Amino acid sequence: MSYGGDYSTTSYGAQGGGGGGGFMPGSQPESGGAKRSYGKDTLRPVTIKQLIEAHHPNPDAEHFMIDGGETTQVTFVGQIRNVSMQTTNITYKLDDGTGIIEVKVWIDSTDDGATEKQKQLGEQAYARVWGRLKAFNNKRHVGANIIRPITDFNEVSYHLLEATAVHLHFTRGPPESLQAKGGASGGAANGAAGSFDQGVGGTKVPPSASMAARKVFQAIKESPQTNEGLHMQEIASRLNMDPSEVMKAGEELGSLGLVYTTVDDHTWAILDV
Amino acid sequence: MAEVTPRITAPYLEQFSHNIVRITGKVRQLRGEQATIDAAGSITVHLTRDSHLQLNHAVELIGKVQQDLSVRVLTATDLGPEGSIDFAAIDAIVDATHRYHEIFYNKGEQ
Repeated sequence: MSYGGDYSTTSYGAQGGGGGGGFMPGSQPESGGAKRSYGKDTLRPVTIKQLIEAHHPNPDAEHFMIDGGETTQVTFVGQIRNVSMQTTNITYKLDDGTGIIEVKVWIDSTDDGATEKQKQLGEQAYARVWGRLKAFNNKRHVGANIIRPITDFNEVSYHLLEATAVHLHFTRGPPESLQAKGGASGGAANGAAGSFDQGVGGTKVPPSASMAARKVFQAIKESPQTNEGLHMQEIASRLNMDPSEVMKAGEELGSLGLVYTTVDDHTWAILDV
Repeated sequence: MAEVTPRITAPYLEQFSHNIVRITGKVRQLRGEQATIDAAGSITVHLTRDSHLQLNHAVELIGKVQQDLSVRVLTATDLGPEGSIDFAAIDAIVDATHRYHEIFYNKGEQ
């Protein structure tokens, strides 16, 4: 499940009649300047504070780092504090309670629904934005692909909780229970950061793994050892498990790509990627 | 206006006295320039001339917490009938705001 996909269907689907038509031309400057592969693009729900504090690896970099994850496209909500009409764009000041950031939307003169939408995006109104964080003259703004009014205030709650869930996913890893259940909220959070899973949660045992494999993995991870890893007998005595059980668990972990054999077939070390 | 307005409910008022905060609650009483709203507890608010509160509507306020833990309203946004707002979600956000404050506000600047 791709987060980007989800969002594009709902947003474009719902907004197609109104301002959606303006999206394709509006996005052209983005795709023209993009040297990075789109396979790496992610869409992350964030708070404005996260945007203000995001680490910019270098002044020319097209991505920012948030919680150690590469971030390109972002989505957030906010209350409009100021609207300023420029010749080529409209600049909104958005405030979500965590900070204030400028959002620039290119004016699409061919979009007939634009003025109607514009009316709904007045001061004090809540809006949702999809766009890309940019740094220009040491000042940050968001170049928005889409900005649309929020009509159901619960979307603000939803977004802030989603941003929190994704932040926790990056900083603490996915909770086991959420992964196993794949519940509504957990599913969204996991999906959102799905493309980062391998990078960040590299040493997570998948929910499908057996209990024995989990215990053995934990034991190897937590025991002091040389780079030769831990021998089957030692794991067995530490865990009070039958050596043959440990053997099976070790093979299971090996086939999952979580451990590798070192000096012989019965000694494993954590494969840390 | 303050750049950062942490979301709070009644139990947090003391911790945030003299700060500008954001409160989502239900309008319980209107008494001219004063009102009572319910946000996990009762809060007395002092209204401005252009804050139009309606009884039994949900409202989002930005205001300054006073010495007596009442709130002087700066802006008020009517959110419609209170039944349309999920207050369990609002409580969850207030909880997350203070539990994971690193993405909501800088602790210690209050």
